[in-house]
Order: sequence, then structure tokens, then C-alpha cells
Amino acid sequence: MEIIEEKQSGINIFKLNGRLDSNTSQGFEQTLFQAISDGSKNLVVDFKDLDYISSAGLRVILKATKAIKREDGRIMLCAMQDYVKEVFEIAGFDTFLPIVATMDDALKSF
Amino acid sequence: MVTNRIGGVPEFRRWPLMAKKKYSFELKSSLSELDQLCQNLETFGKKFGLSQKLIFEINLALDELFTNIISYGFKDDNEHAIKVTLTPRNDEVCLCIEDDGTPFNPIEVEAPDVSSSVEQCKIGGLGIHIMKKLMDEICYERCGDKNVLNLKKKIAKDES
Repeated sequence: MEIIEEKQSGINIFKLNGRLDSNTSQGFEQTLFQAISDGSKNLVVDFKDLDYISSAGLRVILKATKAIKREDGRIMLCAMQDYVKEVFEIAGFDTFLPIVATMDDALKSF
Repeated sequence: MVTNRIGGVPEFRRWPLMAKKKYSFELKSSLSELDQLCQNLETFGKKFGLSQKLIFEINLALDELFTNIISYGFKDDNEHAIKVTLTPRNDEVCLCIEDDGTPFNPIEVEAPDVSSSVEQCKIGGLGIHIMKKLMDEICYERCGDKNVLNLKKKIAKDES
């Protein structure tokens, strides 16, 4: 999986490309937590080019959401493909994670 | 008419052909084999004309089981083989996973407490929970030193 990091008006954007599973989740966790420990408070994860996610990926998202909340920051998840969104729904994560349709919606929310 | 019945023999010949629809492969006991799992399922899906959604869901269920076996199933550092067999039928796909790890019956795993808030959400057993939600039938057997898990996934009518 490829992770492209961008910064836009104080918001850290992580664009995921490929498959987020137990093989790739560790790298993603390190990237997110590096940003949090560097002081980033506003994070956006762009799922547009992510083709697959397993519970290992959900765990990283949940862990990062907890960590950023402790820092009084926020994380937004955007542009999920239908299959990927369904995994969040099966897990029940869609009820408490901020999932929005587009990158624009995510950026406007800050 | 009698001749016709004798001519009906090819009906019986169809059975061994049906058996050829089985698709099997083995994965080594390493998480990097998840790529092999994905590639095999894509080949399987194309071969039998199954929808991408169905393959995604089968991939996810098998991924969660495989990851679980690798994370908790083996007490030594030896290489083990995990065997996967897929059998497509008219309205369902039968899946079988066999491993020689410690006895583990996923049916007995309790659903995780997925609360309505981030703080309270605990996610032990989440992968198995997802697998169960995706599958229509689950049957576990311990055969000698092997875990044998048989799963069924129904094919929705608008798919395949």
C-alpha cells in the first residue's frame, strides 16, 4: 500500500492507495502516529484509491482517532469506495467515526 | 425411449466434471501471504465469473481467518501450510480452510463490544465478528491435529 502525505492549510492529508490489511497496517499506524507526535491536530484520511480494508486497518483508524481526541484534535475519513465503507458498517464503526463523501466535505469541516 | 435412457448416460458423466470446479491453493504461515490469497481469489473469481463484491467479501473473510491463524495458531517458528479450497455451486460458494495450529473454534468467539463512542469501543475479536457477518454458514471440526472450517457464502441474485 502506498501512503501519500500532503499538508493543506494546517491539515495533514493521508492518501491511501492499495490494500490496508494486517500486512500493511503497521506502516500506516507508524505514519499516522508520527504525524500526531509531531503535533498535527487535524488529519484527513483519503480512501479514494483504497481497494481493500480488513479489521487490522479498522484498528489503526480507531487507535489514531482515540489518540487525536486526547490531543483535542480531529480526524476525518473521506471518499470511501462502497466495499470499503461496508466494512466500517459491518463493524459498526460508521456510527461513531466521522465519514464524509468527498475530500471537500472533509476539508470544510475544520 | 429405452435407447434414450441409455443415451442419458452423459448425465452421470456430468458429476465428475462438477468436481473439477474445485479450486485449491496453499498459503505459507506468514502474513505476507495475504497477497497470494488476494491473487488466488482474483483468478478464482475470473475463472468462474463471480462479481467483484463477492470476491471482496470472500477475501475479507479468509483474510480475517488467516490473520488469526498466523497471529495465534502456531506455537513454534516452523513453517506451516494453510490449505484453502473453494467450490462454486449454483447459488453459493463453499470455502474450506485447514490448518495444523492449536485448536480454535471461531464460532465460540464472542462478538466484540462495538459501542457508540470512540472511547468505549473495544475491538478484540473484531476480525472474527466481521467474518461471521459476511458468511451464511460456518461449521468447525477438529480432525486429528487439524482445524477444519467449512463456510458457505450465498451468491446474491444480482451478482455472478
